[in-house]
Amino acid sequence: MILRTFSNLCAQSQACFRSARAKSTLSDVIDETGKSGLILKSLSTDIFENLALEDWIHDHVDLQNRNMLFLWSNAPAVVIGRHQNPWQECNLQVMRQKGIPLARRRSGGGTVFHDLGNVNFTFFTSKKNYDRHRNLQVVTSALKGLRPDMDVRATERFDILLNGQHKISGTAAKLGRTAAYHHCTLLCSADRALLSAVLKPTCQGIKSNATQSVPSPVKNLLDEDPTLDCDTIMDSVASQYNTEFGFSSPVTLVDPSDELSLPGIQRMACELLAWEWTFGRTPKFSICTTFELKNDTSICNATLNMDIKNGIIETCDIEVPSDWLPVELSREFSLHLIGGKLCPYQTSVIAAAFLRTIPQNKEFERKMYNLCRRVVFMM
Amino acid sequence: MLAVLSLSLVRKCGARSSVFQIRYFRTSSACRNEVITVKTPAFAESVTEGDVRWEKAVGDSVKEDEVVCEIETDKTSVQVPSPAAGVIEELLVPDGEKVEGGQALFKLRKGAVAAQAAEAPAAVAAPPPPAAATPPASAVGPIPTTMPPVPPVPGAAISATPVSAIKPTDAPAAFADGRGIPARTEHRVKMNRMRLRIAQRLKEAQNTCAMLTTFNEVDMSNISEMRKAYKDTFLKKHNIKLGFMSAFVKASAYALMDQPSVNGVIDDTTKEVVYRDYVDISVAVATPKGLVVPVIRGVEGMNFADIEKTINELGEKARKNELAVEDMDGGTFTISNGGVFGSMFGTPIINPPQSAILGMHGIFDRPVAIGGKVEIRPMMYVALTYDHRLIDGREAVTFLRKIKAVVEDPRVLLLDL
Repeated sequence: MILRTFSNLCAQSQACFRSARAKSTLSDVIDETGKSGLILKSLSTDIFENLALEDWIHDHVDLQNRNMLFLWSNAPAVVIGRHQNPWQECNLQVMRQKGIPLARRRSGGGTVFHDLGNVNFTFFTSKKNYDRHRNLQVVTSALKGLRPDMDVRATERFDILLNGQHKISGTAAKLGRTAAYHHCTLLCSADRALLSAVLKPTCQGIKSNATQSVPSPVKNLLDEDPTLDCDTIMDSVASQYNTEFGFSSPVTLVDPSDELSLPGIQRMACELLAWEWTFGRTPKFSICTTFELKNDTSICNATLNMDIKNGIIETCDIEVPSDWLPVELSREFSLHLIGGKLCPYQTSVIAAAFLRTIPQNKEFERKMYNLCRRVVFMM
Repeated sequence: MLAVLSLSLVRKCGARSSVFQIRYFRTSSACRNEVITVKTPAFAESVTEGDVRWEKAVGDSVKEDEVVCEIETDKTSVQVPSPAAGVIEELLVPDGEKVEGGQALFKLRKGAVAAQAAEAPAAVAAPPPPAAATPPASAVGPIPTTMPPVPPVPGAAISATPVSAIKPTDAPAAFADGRGIPARTEHRVKMNRMRLRIAQRLKEAQNTCAMLTTFNEVDMSNISEMRKAYKDTFLKKHNIKLGFMSAFVKASAYALMDQPSVNGVIDDTTKEVVYRDYVDISVAVATPKGLVVPVIRGVEGMNFADIEKTINELGEKARKNELAVEDMDGGTFTISNGGVFGSMFGTPIINPPQSAILGMHGIFDRPVAIGGKVEIRPMMYVALTYDHRLIDGREAVTFLRKIKAVVEDPRVLLLDL
């Protein structure tokens, strides 16, 4: 597969020689090539930059008579679907500890774990030509092309199963006004231990109507055949794409942080990074859970009830037995959390300030401190 | 007759409308404020139903083609754009519920006039829910030694992609009558509960403590020189920059061990004085989201490098919004640096429940008398506000002078003078 950079693609197109190259955006260049099929590969492994590039292509490139394939992979990240609840889907504490970011994509579907051992394919088409089965056929045919006796099949739910049992790919899609994209993952050599650790939610007692993920047993293609690495697979899929759709497109490298060729992309990436998008877009939900509080001498059970809308705590009721901690303290603390984000940092700041204001009593202070930490831990 | 009636109702609607008045127009299709029912689009690939997720709410004005909701079907998110510009009149399906292709989805009142009318209800309906609009920044603010960092405008704190469910409280239009004369309106924001509680505690502390402040000045030449001489080596060995804070933190810990009453506190409930043989120094840090006060624990056992590392770690955590409750809890003494904002001189306020606070200010070149001659030296005013019920004048002044001595000549630490 011939790799070309974006500037080389420019050189291929005669029209480009005439136009001021510095002023051409990616969509101008694509239009000028006059090709109806293009394959792009990202130079970035940043989840936010890559998601922003998907959005940019969807919004700015004319896809009415054109198809595009975008190949990308990311440094470890967890990606939730458009209408999902992160607290319900993944282990936010482990992610914070390990510095694994959370991203919310604009397509529907469930939660996936990305790392450099996972490859993503995005198929861009017009809304008319949207056909997920055909796209997945490209992937399965490519894999079969590499290993003819490998059992890989796409299901009606648009998963790809290995040996009929293990999920190696999940799908999601977005249908805009005139264009559409369908993207899917492919597990080549991902860190499965890390995957299990982060996709295990720790917040209990959530009641929500957000889209729920359907957990499935997974496997890496590398486990099946050690010669199947990410680059081999990407090349094979790109080839198969050309064959299936009758294109002859080389793989062009794209830098998603290039604001000059992709005007507006930085702002799109910033939007995806914002708390208001990643956490704030969660459909309304409530948490109802009991937990244990201990100190050196005693244990008790406390309950917590919260309603959260747009990531903001609307109602909060923390009940602690009155013989363990004065009711006014837990009640007052609950009231202080209302209107704040369901965010451990913000809650820590409020808790620390609150702890300074309670009357000095070593015992109550310690107990209150434990309560605060336990509540923060849930977020 | 009908035409005239419609016209006058339209005028009334445009001038001072509320969503309720608009309802009168429903049957009048002759009027340009026509209400249309938008149906769920047909689904692709033989899918029959999906879940609706609203992006806009009742009363929101939308442009033609703007996304009103998204329908999630089988891992696909389908956008439903508005067929025309107008105002959302009614949502016919609750959020998260299932819809089928062709099902009535929402009602839209067409017309660009609606855009202006919608702003009036939006502004009127917007006295914000008590804490939702107030920025998180106001959560902590126990040490206003200088002009506190200006809290962000409530509306701006909220979304990059506007979520119409939370109505940001934008300040009302600056030019209400369109003649270019600014409108003299005011808007009220309810104080958030945490802010009220902290205010109460601060005032209580001020009423019980006998608070007063003593001042001194510190010649920063030696410490600047030391820093200049060793900053590269320090950076190479410890991987962090050598600042001034570590000098003041270490000096304070040294002075606190020397004057234990400054490190102690009165327990008003038991009428006891609590003396502590450890030093935990709270350092006030201004972050983009407001003031936070992380604590450096056990400073009496740390050297400059350890202190600098801890300050750096805490600063990083604050910057990445990762400070935990255990990072900010407690503290026996506080240092606040007003100098970063350019303050020259000022009286810090004690951060309860503690007995004293050190205020650092800006370093400015001043002419000072050295050995009978006038020299220009980089000078910093320092202030110590203390609780006179526990700490007497002599102790406070000695304490401050000790800090001055250590910062002006760190060899004092070495020789334990």
